[in-house]
Amino acid sequence: MSNNAISEIVKLKRKLYVELLKLVKSGDLTAEISNLSKKMITKDTARYRCCEFKERAIFEERIKAVLGFNIAENSKKSLEELAASLPRWQKKKRIVEVIGKACDSCPIDKYLVTDACRNCVAHKCVNSCPVKAIVVIQNKAYIDQDKCVECGKCAQACSYNAILENERPCSRACELDAISSDSNRQAKIDQKKCVSCGSCIAACPFGAITAISDLIEVALNLFAEKNNLAVMLAPSFLGQFGHQQSAAKVNYALKKVGFRLVREVAAGAEITAAAEAEELEEKIEFNKTLLSSCCPAFKKMVENEFEELSALISKTDSPMSVTAAEIKSKTPELKTVFVGPCTAKKAEALKDKNVDYVLNFAEMLALFTASNINLAQINEEEELNDAGQLGRQFAYAGGLQQSLKELTASDFKCRQLDGLGRLKKELYLIRANKHDYNFLEGMACSGGCVGGPFSMINQNLAKKLVKEFAESF
Amino acid sequence: MSKNILKICIGTPCHLMGAANLLESVEKFDCKLRQKIELKTSHCIDNCCDQAPVAEFNGKVYQNLNPEKLYKIIRENIK
Repeated sequence: MSNNAISEIVKLKRKLYVELLKLVKSGDLTAEISNLSKKMITKDTARYRCCEFKERAIFEERIKAVLGFNIAENSKKSLEELAASLPRWQKKKRIVEVIGKACDSCPIDKYLVTDACRNCVAHKCVNSCPVKAIVVIQNKAYIDQDKCVECGKCAQACSYNAILENERPCSRACELDAISSDSNRQAKIDQKKCVSCGSCIAACPFGAITAISDLIEVALNLFAEKNNLAVMLAPSFLGQFGHQQSAAKVNYALKKVGFRLVREVAAGAEITAAAEAEELEEKIEFNKTLLSSCCPAFKKMVENEFEELSALISKTDSPMSVTAAEIKSKTPELKTVFVGPCTAKKAEALKDKNVDYVLNFAEMLALFTASNINLAQINEEEELNDAGQLGRQFAYAGGLQQSLKELTASDFKCRQLDGLGRLKKELYLIRANKHDYNFLEGMACSGGCVGGPFSMINQNLAKKLVKEFAESF
Repeated sequence: MSKNILKICIGTPCHLMGAANLLESVEKFDCKLRQKIELKTSHCIDNCCDQAPVAEFNGKVYQNLNPEKLYKIIRENIK
């Protein structure tokens, strides 16, 4: 799903995080926020749009998202007004949102004939089309879009590669067909289908889709030195904070930046695994199937599209939820901040009273940068010993399945799949009762959480580091 | 044979802007090129954190890099 290559658009977003955080730190957020777009986008900065004014208008929408406001509902409000109203009183309505101004309304037609068409004699395209959608007009093949069924046979048949597959990157990335276009041909997300997996955010080359962030809210708490924040590190955090930055150092640095408590979500994962194993034993006894519940995007997809199967989803709370509940039961005044590579967790947190904020790794690193803390220059460490292998290996695909095998006494067959598209196919099989296993581990991102849309490093490397860390316990 | 020295900054600001991409790209260089380079990491080069990611090749500092830029710089300046 992610390839973590850092594009200009990703850099711009991260620079924005740092600049906003600096304003929060100095206490000038409300006063300076309306000047920020002018300061960061000048006539001389690299420009991707028609003029700097459009660029700034888009930039201001991005700022709103980082402040934590839904863009569509707050389009008329000024940045100053929004910044002054923090901490936010309105609940976020959704996590993944299109920035209308930034969407470039890419072509909707999936197959297009380009100028490379030579109007050859063979006309392989016309012959290959099963619905007779291709005609030759004015010396060039032409696809009648009303007839086209988007099978792609013409593109394969053409000897000149003159027919282009041209799907919008966002809708290609969305395996649940949640993205369509509105009357302005701009991308529109069907919130009934969207599971907030974040693939479209990573896919859009214009950066027109964004997640509504908790960053500024966290920073307001942190920089006011309220000492009321607890970090929950996703099991996939190894290596995400920089090359050769150990878990112990990350722990130390997080406390140095002002977090009171640091807890591995892997600790919650151990509890989740144990509870899920119990549930599984029961299912095995009656030869029924259990679906994993720790990936919120997978869980949401089952609920959205396979209502009749939602009873099969494990009733066990997710590792994040368990960890947060544990922190709150011990120290109720703490606010919990989950840090991970995931957007779907942001959506899950909206419904979980124990999880106050969710950040991704880049947002957390921006917090370090704005606080002038460079992990590479820190030598101190503080051991992190919250969990063992059974919890830590949740970070990669197959890890949960492995933990359950160890925790379950009886023999059972299981299956592990990653990627929402593949999972969807599998769910059709389960619905038709054409499966032969008692447990399905579903992870929306390919490779599991280490391959999440906001992972900072190559997923193979991330998996290796997580494994080492899990085995070190 | 004198080695070419490539230092990539792995400080937090550089990591935020894609130092991991640079490190990964160096490992993907073809063998002949990779052999000529001695890869080191640095905690901070020149304090130019707002121009991240930063790397130093044979004593010269290059800012605002991406894997493609880095590859070109190395190709052009390799001994």
